[in-house]
Amino acid sequence: MPTIGSFSLLFALVLALYCFVAGIVALISRHPSAARLGETARRAGMATFIATAVSALALVWAALNNDYSLAYILHHTNRALPTPYKLAALWSGQEGSLLFWALLLSAYGFVLRLRHKVDRQLTAYASVVLAGIQIFFLMLVNFAGNPFGIMDSVRADGLGLNPLLQYPEMVIHPPMLYLGYVGMSVPFAFGLAALIMKYPGEKWIHITRRWTMVAWLFLTCGIFLGGHWAYGVLGWGGYWGWDPVENASFLPWLSSTAFLHSVMMQEKRGMMKVWNVWLIFVTFMLSILGTLLTRSGMVQSVHAFAQSSIGTWFVWMLGITFVVCLFFYIKNRDHLKAENKLESVVSRESSFMFNNLVLLAACFAVLWGTLFPIISEWVRGYKITVGPPFFNKIMIPIGLFLVFLTAVGPLLAWRRTSFASLQRNFAIPVLVAALTGIAFALTVHPWKDQGQFYALMAFALSALVVTTVALEFYRGGRVLQGKLGTNLFGAMYWLTRRNTRRYGGYIVHFGVVVIVIGLAGAAFNQDKEQEMGLGDKLQIGHYELVGQKYTEDDIANYESQAAILDVYKDGKFLRTLYPELRLYKASQQPDHVVAIRSTLQEDLYVVYEGKNPDTDRPIIKAFVNPLVSWIWIGVLVVAFGTGIALVPNAAQLRSPVSVPARAHGDPGQVSGLEPAGATK
Amino acid sequence: MKRIILGLVLCFSLVAMATDDDRYNDLGNKIQCSCGCGQILIKCNHVGCPSSDGMIRQLRASLANYSNDEDVLNWFRRTYGVTVVVAPGTHGFELIIWVVPPVLVAAAFLLLFFLVRRWRLRAAPAGVMNLDPGLEALKARARRETEL
Repeated sequence: MPTIGSFSLLFALVLALYCFVAGIVALISRHPSAARLGETARRAGMATFIATAVSALALVWAALNNDYSLAYILHHTNRALPTPYKLAALWSGQEGSLLFWALLLSAYGFVLRLRHKVDRQLTAYASVVLAGIQIFFLMLVNFAGNPFGIMDSVRADGLGLNPLLQYPEMVIHPPMLYLGYVGMSVPFAFGLAALIMKYPGEKWIHITRRWTMVAWLFLTCGIFLGGHWAYGVLGWGGYWGWDPVENASFLPWLSSTAFLHSVMMQEKRGMMKVWNVWLIFVTFMLSILGTLLTRSGMVQSVHAFAQSSIGTWFVWMLGITFVVCLFFYIKNRDHLKAENKLESVVSRESSFMFNNLVLLAACFAVLWGTLFPIISEWVRGYKITVGPPFFNKIMIPIGLFLVFLTAVGPLLAWRRTSFASLQRNFAIPVLVAALTGIAFALTVHPWKDQGQFYALMAFALSALVVTTVALEFYRGGRVLQGKLGTNLFGAMYWLTRRNTRRYGGYIVHFGVVVIVIGLAGAAFNQDKEQEMGLGDKLQIGHYELVGQKYTEDDIANYESQAAILDVYKDGKFLRTLYPELRLYKASQQPDHVVAIRSTLQEDLYVVYEGKNPDTDRPIIKAFVNPLVSWIWIGVLVVAFGTGIALVPNAAQLRSPVSVPARAHGDPGQVSGLEPAGATK
Repeated sequence: MKRIILGLVLCFSLVAMATDDDRYNDLGNKIQCSCGCGQILIKCNHVGCPSSDGMIRQLRASLANYSNDEDVLNWFRRTYGVTVVVAPGTHGFELIIWVVPPVLVAAAFLLLFFLVRRWRLRAAPAGVMNLDPGLEALKARARRETEL
């Protein structure tokens, strides 16, 4: 199998090269057979997926069959490793994750080339661009990080998987993140293709937007799954530490979020064409930069699972990408002239511009903080450490301003908004936000602590967003209610069906607000650490932990020590928690299994830290983290909203305004005026 | 007016009156454990960590010795090297990291402001000259019905 895998990988590279070269020749040639040549290029591109998949399967097969003749399998698995983690070994190390990247890229390419009828010419160009990216990754995986390297001698057992990766979410978090990262290649390919061929009209941007939304959704899920993994495994009570690798995933997320907003300006008003093209270029380049940071060891990271010297490859890739983008931009920039100009500062257009500016500012701040250690090393000869204090100080105000724009933007009209309209739309939301802020201030007195003051702002702004979203649904629903003769909720359902993108977007905004509320809860975190013998008590917040028993276990994969703790809240027994500390035998590395009691109000988070070597007594660390579960719920809402936005609108008959709408029949087919909210 | 100013002064005074626990939490979050785990000092929870206990004791002692937080951080910089502090300083070369993002954001907003002004000046006469009520009404309706 390793031979088959290795050969398939090489064959995939040959196919990608053919797709690239034959694709270019077919596009520039005027020969009658050019179309047939183009078709062979397309099919070769699709075949790269099959070849890469065979290679990936060969590696998985080797992992499942404990083939320790392969260096990669030896270093990332062992016999006692549970099967799901053996599957996860595919992306647990440098070489495997590069192969996985190549596999996902070829899978995206397969779908893109399969759906070539959407627009044959544009797809042909995009296929060539994608083939270029595939060549890079397949060269990398063939020549710089081949996962099919053979050992001189075969060992009886492997060295095991990093214990931090032996966690259910690690089976799904990296694929999600990679689907997001790699997915950004497709909008990039379409964007560059449209620029190269001076694509007329905005259809390309419509195609690109859907691909970007899919990639964005994966990236969002991947980032938050990573946060959930960190929360459950690292045992420090947090979910985001502004680690360079975390930042690397956040950068393309920020720029793609900006793109998803500004793209509406181009579709709707023919504006910001240059900006959009560069946003999509930058998003792809940030994905590559993120991989460079992760793989090269340029910056220190707790995620240093797979560092090596392949950074140079990524630097070249980044450089070439930038030069190609710049070349075609300079060559064809006349094609990107805006059709309209901004007419008023108080308009939907300007809110999108502010939104983009703030998102890009956030992106720059994260990039700046991440790269500053490297800059300081160049300038001063040593690496300054940039950690959470810097990022929190810069990013929290930016985040709050974004939440404010999330509330304001959708209520502004295209072109210009009148003062009367502002008054009408903002009176209730502002009142609700002010009341929320006052109620919170009177309860918590947040002026004693900067974090709590930010939390006050977050809650008030969240109330602003929730009210605006609710009002949009309500106003739209009320208009449709009369026309459809259904109840308000039925009307809201049809409202969403009729404009999935708009109302799906509102649901995403609502999800973001739920996440923000969860993040704001961190301002009220409590923690306490103490030695606990049998019967000893630890008091934190309303909770009391009582040490009931301490056990040890020894199974094939690891040895463990665990505490059995009874939890009481205000004197009433709640449940028993089992925090655990494992020592993995193959790698001899320890790992925490955190016990969490999660409610909507707060998480009780308990870590067994091991025994004090001086007293031999167990050390327990407990945290009370308010509102954390809101973050995970918010992500589900975001995913749901994105899913809705991806669904096509229900069929609509656009009849003249004067024709009365039918009160009965299929509401999806009923037409009439857009609801009042939709005109905003 | 006097009452408002008095209230504001009171608020700022409350913020300024940080207790030792607040200082411990604030500074403990700005220092990295030197064991190599990459964790913040007061979050480091490695079993048998050779560094964190000692460093936490040193932090508490420094809090008693120095009333200025920057002096505490400087003591750690001198003892463990500059990389031990994860919050860059606010002087010398490290000041750049704090200054650049807000300056760039301000510059971007300024640029946007001038762009918008220029566009508005250009758009205004063209809008008046091409104004066709019928066409404008049709455009308005098209916008409503294709609302994004």
